[in-house]
Amino acid sequence: MSYLVNKLNACSPYWSMFSRVLAAITGGYVLATANSIFISQLLLSSVGKYQAIHIGLMLTFITYACVAMWVFSVSTATKVWLGLIKLTVLVAVATWLLMKLNGMSS
Amino acid sequence: MKDNFRQSMKWFHTWVGLVVGWVLFFMFLTGSLGYFYQEITRWMEPERPFIAHEVSTEKLLDTAQIYLNKHAKGVDEWDIMLPNARDQNLRVGWRHLVDSGKQGSRYKITVLDALTGEAVASRATGGGKLLYRMHYRLHYLSTSISYWVVGFCSMLMLLAVITGVVIHKKIFTDFFTFRAKKGLLGWLDIHNVLSVIALPFHFMITYSGLLFFLFTYMVLSTNLQINDEEFDEMLNEIYPGSTHLDSARQPSDMLKVSSLYQQVKNSWHADELSYVEMFAADDINAHARFVRHETDITYNPDDEVTINAITGEVIAVKINKYTGAGIIHNGFFSLHEGHFAGPIARWIYFFTGLIGTAMIASGLILWTTKRKPKQMKKANGPDFGYRLVEQLNIGTIVGLPIAIASYFYANRLLPLDMANRINWEANIMFISWAVLLIYPAFRTAKQAWSEQLLFAALLYFMLPIVNAFTTDKHLLNSLHHQDWNLAGFDLTLLVVSSCFAFAAYKMTSPQLSNKTSAQRNKQVSKRVNNKIVIEKRDHPSVQVTNDSLLPLPQANKEKC
Amino acid sequence: MLVLTSLSFSTMVLFCLAMTKHREQVLESEISILAVRFFRPFAWLLLLFTGYISVDMYGWSIGPALLFGAFTIATLLLILLLTYRAKIVPELAIVLSIIASMSIFIS
Repeated sequence: MSYLVNKLNACSPYWSMFSRVLAAITGGYVLATANSIFISQLLLSSVGKYQAIHIGLMLTFITYACVAMWVFSVSTATKVWLGLIKLTVLVAVATWLLMKLNGMSS
Repeated sequence: MKDNFRQSMKWFHTWVGLVVGWVLFFMFLTGSLGYFYQEITRWMEPERPFIAHEVSTEKLLDTAQIYLNKHAKGVDEWDIMLPNARDQNLRVGWRHLVDSGKQGSRYKITVLDALTGEAVASRATGGGKLLYRMHYRLHYLSTSISYWVVGFCSMLMLLAVITGVVIHKKIFTDFFTFRAKKGLLGWLDIHNVLSVIALPFHFMITYSGLLFFLFTYMVLSTNLQINDEEFDEMLNEIYPGSTHLDSARQPSDMLKVSSLYQQVKNSWHADELSYVEMFAADDINAHARFVRHETDITYNPDDEVTINAITGEVIAVKINKYTGAGIIHNGFFSLHEGHFAGPIARWIYFFTGLIGTAMIASGLILWTTKRKPKQMKKANGPDFGYRLVEQLNIGTIVGLPIAIASYFYANRLLPLDMANRINWEANIMFISWAVLLIYPAFRTAKQAWSEQLLFAALLYFMLPIVNAFTTDKHLLNSLHHQDWNLAGFDLTLLVVSSCFAFAAYKMTSPQLSNKTSAQRNKQVSKRVNNKIVIEKRDHPSVQVTNDSLLPLPQANKEKC
Repeated sequence: MLVLTSLSFSTMVLFCLAMTKHREQVLESEISILAVRFFRPFAWLLLLFTGYISVDMYGWSIGPALLFGAFTIATLLLILLLTYRAKIVPELAIVLSIIASMSIFIS
């Protein structure tokens, strides 16, 4: 294991940066998607299905921007991934709860 | 990442700008030109006649209809586009069958001479439309790849704008600050000023740009929430198309379009027609939609009047009902493209777009200026990264305008009957850009900058002259005919040329010794002779700066 | 549009003169501190007024868009003047305001 770590130079800052960039691009996209679904569920009862989805989609760029900025301000790459996973799970759970709520009322 | 949030964002802002800065420069420049794409197209098709003054709308409609009755017999739907502030030629358009037997049709516009009613055959050219299309469609790449590249760059632009605001600590205290110094401070001030004065525009343009391909980018979210059918329904809600009746296959005599127009004039209380769309021509279902210039960023139903072409009565049309989100979405489109803009507003859009272009350019130049002192001291010469950025800077910031000039040159100089003429006009543009990107590798930075700036000035200056030798739509003629759009194009070329010339002049203005400020200060302190010390201090214009720095007006070249 | 740009220019001049470092750049004589205290509030009022004029002339849809455009042009002009010809800024602001007011009253 340590042989691999040494061979791949896994501790170099380039891997850390690559990891961050990957997190920002993919993890950010996933989180933004989760957020858009969450917002759609939030607005479902007030503006109707299509408009709720539309608004959720339009706001993704703001969430994506905030996530990207956050990713590059946290101290380590590990914290980035952990934070992203935590947030995504949180949003997913909240969305699932909202879906149950919306499903019950409609 | 760094010590505090602001430092991290500063690092982030720099990198985000560097990764896509040159593509963004391309997008901003072609986008700014895109605001005048109709005007550019008109210049690039010099076979089109000059503006015809004082021809009534009714006469124009009659002229167009005579042509359509002759050449578009049997076509259900055709349009008449009247001369307006952007395109002074009468045009008609309808869908032509692409190949006999093959399915599919292509909408083709034919320019008519307003006085004679004859069709005008123009040279094969992409015109301003192609240039504008490159703004979002790039070139040589497939549609989906282009959209993703453009989206990626726009997203990074949004990040750059947001982080830019975050790191600009003294945004209010330095709001009006512009220190016209050579060097880092001067370029930083330029970059800040250009960003801040048009900050709402930069936010709007970037966000609305991202919204254009919203459903392409957020494909995962859309697919997770709705299926294809619902997706089509949703799109219909957001972009409601106007409905019209189809032909009933029962021929009938129509009233003349010009007589239908009288009704429209009553509705609008003015003579401000922009174009007419005819549906189910020469049929009992025939009806015409008369549309005027947009008066609203969102949607004003009064901008259109639909008339039954058989009876001449106004038809009440179902008014498009936009959702709240739809209004915002379409409103953003309207703001981005400036559909509503009249001539003055259009120039302001163009100018502000150029401010954005200069903002990006000054940011890129700022990067090299900041690192230059350290890089120049390195033993083996500057790093590869620095040299690459410098080369890309020169090749793009001056190179791309030169490439666009060569696009115009190609339009004038390529043989008219050349095969693939449209493609070759674009090819020449990109070939010259490639040459100019490679060229700085063989010169020092200062040489490359000044040579390319001079070349740009010369090229833009010669273009109106080449125009005069190759066509009759040159500056003297267009001024004589009071065709302001055509004259404006040539005049703008001359203004651009003078801006480049000014920049080149500033670049080569008398330079001090190549010593750095530290060395010069050491020299001064070493001098025992007071006289020389006093002399050095008595020249307030002598700026103790680093060597061969770019003049500050270089980024102002578009504004002069 | 000229009216909007002139009013925007005057607004920005007021904001600018509210700052000490620009006042020193532009004015030769000092102004009483009491008077300066009114510059910024008055500038905000003028901004609101310009917005009102913009909406009145062009409607709620296009008006705000043109307002931003006017402010961009006016601010750029002011910044360039401050760097190269600081002294004429107050006079230009007054002249432009007069022209703008006259245009509003005439139309």
